[in-house]
Amino acid sequence: MSKTRPSLRPSLQGYVLLGPALIVYLLFAVYPMIDVIRMSFSSWNGLSPQAKFVGIANYRAILTQDPVFWGALWNTLIWTSAAVIIPNLIAFGVALALNQNIPGRSGLRIVFYLPVIIASIAVATIWKWMYDPFFGLFNGLLTSWGLTGLIMDWLGDKTVALWSVFVAHVWQSVGFSMVLFLAGLQSVSTTLIEAARIDGAGRWGVFRYVTLPALVPTITVVFVLSLINSLKAFDIVYGMTGGGPAQSTQMLAMWAYTQSMQLGVFGRGAAVSVVLLLITLIVVIPYMRWMFKREDMGR
Amino acid sequence: MTFFSQAFRPVGSNKVDPMLVALWIAFILLAIIWITPFVFIVFTSLKSNSTVMGSSAFSPPSELAFGNFVAAWNRGNFSTTAFNGIVITVIKVPLGLFISAMAAYALAKVPMRINKPLFALFVFGTMLPFQVMLAPIFRQVNAFGLINTYPGIILPYLAFGIPYQVFILYGFFSAVPKELSEAARIDGASHFTIFRRIFLPVSLPVLSALLILDFVATWNEFAMALVILQDPRMWTLPLGLMNFQSQFQSDYGQLNAAIIMTVLPAALVYLMFQRYFVSGLTSGAVKE
Repeated sequence: MSKTRPSLRPSLQGYVLLGPALIVYLLFAVYPMIDVIRMSFSSWNGLSPQAKFVGIANYRAILTQDPVFWGALWNTLIWTSAAVIIPNLIAFGVALALNQNIPGRSGLRIVFYLPVIIASIAVATIWKWMYDPFFGLFNGLLTSWGLTGLIMDWLGDKTVALWSVFVAHVWQSVGFSMVLFLAGLQSVSTTLIEAARIDGAGRWGVFRYVTLPALVPTITVVFVLSLINSLKAFDIVYGMTGGGPAQSTQMLAMWAYTQSMQLGVFGRGAAVSVVLLLITLIVVIPYMRWMFKREDMGR
Repeated sequence: MTFFSQAFRPVGSNKVDPMLVALWIAFILLAIIWITPFVFIVFTSLKSNSTVMGSSAFSPPSELAFGNFVAAWNRGNFSTTAFNGIVITVIKVPLGLFISAMAAYALAKVPMRINKPLFALFVFGTMLPFQVMLAPIFRQVNAFGLINTYPGIILPYLAFGIPYQVFILYGFFSAVPKELSEAARIDGASHFTIFRRIFLPVSLPVLSALLILDFVATWNEFAMALVILQDPRMWTLPLGLMNFQSQFQSDYGQLNAAIIMTVLPAALVYLMFQRYFVSGLTSGAVKE
């Protein structure tokens, strides 16, 4: 390979290769995160040229005066706990079944994964239509089964709206965890399983003492990823209810957006964002330490 | 029945396992529940509005009202939104992958002082949910005067796509044996040459997996587009669908036709390149 010009020092070449990605990342992902913290201590309406420093006034406002914040926080916590358990249990069951010798496996895998690749906003639209109180699928089915007493306005009744949205989320998210579980299951050593079987272990014994221990890393990953995914629930709520009725499906990500972009109180919206960021960091930091430790052990 | 001849037998056994048969039946029922929304959407998209209101919700359409698709395409401005989606995706996806691959190569193979902390900074970004900070992203794009422009949406898309791609490609490049690049370095090749001639070609399978995942993610993205693309002429498909839903929600047939036209490209890409999805997702999250 001939060279026409003297080449840069190797480390300098490294910086040139690194540059574009690093600059874009710093400018449009890292900087906004710092900016949101600064913004949470200021008052800005989106129009005036200068933001005004107001100390912790925004935090005091969202914690003591905001009638929606605590409900949104509560909904976020309930949603998140349900979202790390329910879809993942279904996904685990589906992955275990798909890992058996049963016919039609690839077709079944497609069925469960298809909702994952559909735009969340389309999932929201699909389910909103199925929940339609007059012509939707659910009330249609209930009518034809003679269960007219159970008919309700699934998204308009504030006692059930959050769970109606959650069901759509389950439908959309099972496939993602399923793929991760399947990959984990397929890496469980078959020799080990056969050895355990020869030693007289039953179906449960193999599962409990061979499969499950081998899956611990996968389970951790799935747990953390679905936790982070559920904290940022936005599209599906926006598309199905917009936070209503009576703020009963309001969640922090959505509320931060509403305050800043719709009500024009950027400072308060930023304070809500910071609360949500802190919750995210409580999960992300220990997870990153765990991941780097594993990486170092693998070397 | 050759289809079943080998089925239902556990590893190392020749007998049909009745547990497995029972499990399979339960499983098929679950799969039917899972696919019902799609069937319902397709049925409704082919019904006229009076049929939707007159017949039961889950009956198949009697006459196929393909006109719904044409009407939805026109009323929903699909030619505009699809065009914008294509422009944004076609620029963002390859560009993002290329600069991510460059960065991943530098982090994995060029000894610099800051490799480790920078890699950690990128990994941190893989877990940073941008839905949490839509307003500051809007502020930043606004500061560059790029609201309602293609670069205005592409830059933040790049910023939030880079971390995951760097993370995956870093893992892949680190595993490439030293001998492969060392020989070239002794011959005097620069890192640029080694990256382009050796590392890009060997990482083609990973790159294709990431390409397809990223295509679907970009095509479907909603929240960021919502705050940055406010002019209807700049909307992408998800924004168009959201607007269609709020404007024409009682035109059931057309609404469902609009849903199908929005999701079809991503669904087709998935069906064609399934195996890439699995490898693209799992190579990052689950290691052996």
